[in-house]
Amino acid sequence: MLQTSLEFLKREFFKYYYENISRLVPPEPIRSREFGFFLEKGKGMFRHKCFNSLRDFHEFILNEIPLDIYVSAANYEDPCNRDMSEKKLVNAELFFDIDAESVAAVSEEESAWICQKCNQYGIGLRDGCPSCGAPTELVRLVSEKQLNVALRETEKLIHVLREDFGIAPENMRVFYSGNRGYHVHVNQEDFLNVTGEGRREIIDYLLIQGLDEKELLNFLKRGVSIGGVSLKGVKRRVYMRVLEKAGSVEKLKTSKRETVLKMLEGIVEELKVRIDPVVTIDMHRLMRMPESINSSSGMVKRRIRLEDLPSFKPLEEAIAFGDEETCLKVKIAPRFRLGGRTFGPFKDEEVELPAYAAVYIVCKGLGEYAGR
Amino acid sequence: MMSENVLRAARYPFLPETREFISRNIDLSLESLEKTGSEAALKRAVERVKNALIFKEVKVTALDELNYVREMLSFPIAIILVSMIMNEYVRRMYALGESRGAYRRMLNESDETLLYIGEKMGVGGVLDDENTIRVKIPTYLKLAYSFHAPHWKLVNRAVNNGYVSMGKTEYARLIQVEVNNYVYEKTLEPVPAGAVPDSFRRAADEIVGVWSRLETGKASRVPLREREDTPPCIGRIIRRMENGENASHFERLVVATFMIARSRNIDEIIEFFSKQPDYKYSVTKYQVEHLAGIRGGGKKYSVPSCRTMLTNGLCYPDEYCKGIKHPLRYGEKNVADEPRVP
Repeated sequence: MLQTSLEFLKREFFKYYYENISRLVPPEPIRSREFGFFLEKGKGMFRHKCFNSLRDFHEFILNEIPLDIYVSAANYEDPCNRDMSEKKLVNAELFFDIDAESVAAVSEEESAWICQKCNQYGIGLRDGCPSCGAPTELVRLVSEKQLNVALRETEKLIHVLREDFGIAPENMRVFYSGNRGYHVHVNQEDFLNVTGEGRREIIDYLLIQGLDEKELLNFLKRGVSIGGVSLKGVKRRVYMRVLEKAGSVEKLKTSKRETVLKMLEGIVEELKVRIDPVVTIDMHRLMRMPESINSSSGMVKRRIRLEDLPSFKPLEEAIAFGDEETCLKVKIAPRFRLGGRTFGPFKDEEVELPAYAAVYIVCKGLGEYAGR
Repeated sequence: MMSENVLRAARYPFLPETREFISRNIDLSLESLEKTGSEAALKRAVERVKNALIFKEVKVTALDELNYVREMLSFPIAIILVSMIMNEYVRRMYALGESRGAYRRMLNESDETLLYIGEKMGVGGVLDDENTIRVKIPTYLKLAYSFHAPHWKLVNRAVNNGYVSMGKTEYARLIQVEVNNYVYEKTLEPVPAGAVPDSFRRAADEIVGVWSRLETGKASRVPLREREDTPPCIGRIIRRMENGENASHFERLVVATFMIARSRNIDEIIEFFSKQPDYKYSVTKYQVEHLAGIRGGGKKYSVPSCRTMLTNGLCYPDEYCKGIKHPLRYGEKNVADEPRVP
């Protein structure tokens, strides 16, 4: 990224934070949280930072204009201590991450490849450069289709958290990550102290790992209807789905054991909530700060009210910047939708785009700022 | 005056009401303890610990319950005795014995009593129809993660609306874990040395006697003493370096991290390295500070494990190395083969 592009981003980010600083409210108590920032492109994370007040936090952001802002899921006695064990963990929110990338594949027409060695590029997914053979850098745009699948997973997660785990809706906050995923933060008193081991159990529950299939199989093979078994939780959900899919209890009774087992496995795949396990286990994890800009896309980590979830449109509702025309030199860009409009495809051209789309292209590394 | 509640307090002496009963009704001054039979309580306390060590279960008979004052008093005394012995194995076995005994007794209790004990131990349960009890998920996770059988896994449980349902036996099992944790933690509290009467010392000796008889021939777990000694592997490198021999990079790392771990100050450590033929003050200072976590990422480096020392051909064990996995643990475990005379 050229210096002029970086300055352009910093100007735009400043405008966003200047206008929206009051939306950036870290979870209380702010004094017990650790903060982390990416301040410069390509530099490591500046972490172990803490703030005494909301005002200090806001001042820091407006002075530094970080590229990315993070806050710990955990409360600590001494959040700025550089030694993780010396921070003295008090408790931690449950934090779930659903990554669109791992729930659905990105399509060719939403990706581009760039060869840094011989400066070739094109649309599509290519691992090796066609002219020099060097490994390429792949740029995947934010895909509406992928995000839709991830949103369905998020709804599944919320359903299980409510129905099975008894998490009250007011203790659950759902976010679009600003790039390729969704986050769910759970801040419910009795779950704050669940240890890493306990969190692993919650993950296994959501991913349906370690399920005792024999018991279910025996029920199924004996032809017990759902009214006849006292199943609850995920087992019940699996059982009901098998019965539904098979059509009738009788059919199952006459099917081969392997056939039923296969069906069971298929249904586990269908019903599991595809969260990223690593994120939830790690109590020291830093979470992207709500309402802050995600510098991989220039969109905002946006809170979504539960009732708005089914109709949420990430590529329209998470836009952070205005639509002033901005001049860009675009290397390569597949056709993309953003802010309700469609742009591109572009190749080696100078184009005028609204600021939000220009930021997006620059953040994705597909073009450079060329003046307003 | 001998109500059901008093019997219950005697049967489950870890319940808070036992403490209340003792402080309300029993004069804890020594002469009155004589009268209320503190000697009998002490005897019963020894029996509790012996039961735990020999049978892995503290048994409480109906007769014990009728002697409820003695029974109630014997529990805190047993804890004092176990704390005095300061042995991890005895602590764990005692906690296990008490909790196991409690578990057996709980199986015969009414739903009401079982739920009452659970509630008091922080394992609150709600009685549902069909003879099932439900427990809040976080409570369940805290206690059940130590069980490895697949049916304890959350994914295999009846989970609904924030609760895990289970039968009475399983519920009692969860309470057992909490009783175990409670007793174990109690035995970690230090006993003020001056306050212990001689009779307690003799009682503790008696328990140690039983324990040694059981342990004869087995590797012992008792810490010999707080040794400040240097393990032979590291001592060997230090001696060589003192003679001006040129140590390898890894050997220097071992010595430096060891000295840091033993809280030597940085200047002292640098002074030590100054005998090395290729000594440079600035380089040594930089590296030692780096290892101590003063520089760089702030990460303090630890002393390499026995395994790593062995891999690098630097392990020269002596008898105090038996059973340890890390040079800093040197001398913490006793020589195994020495037979014990009770």
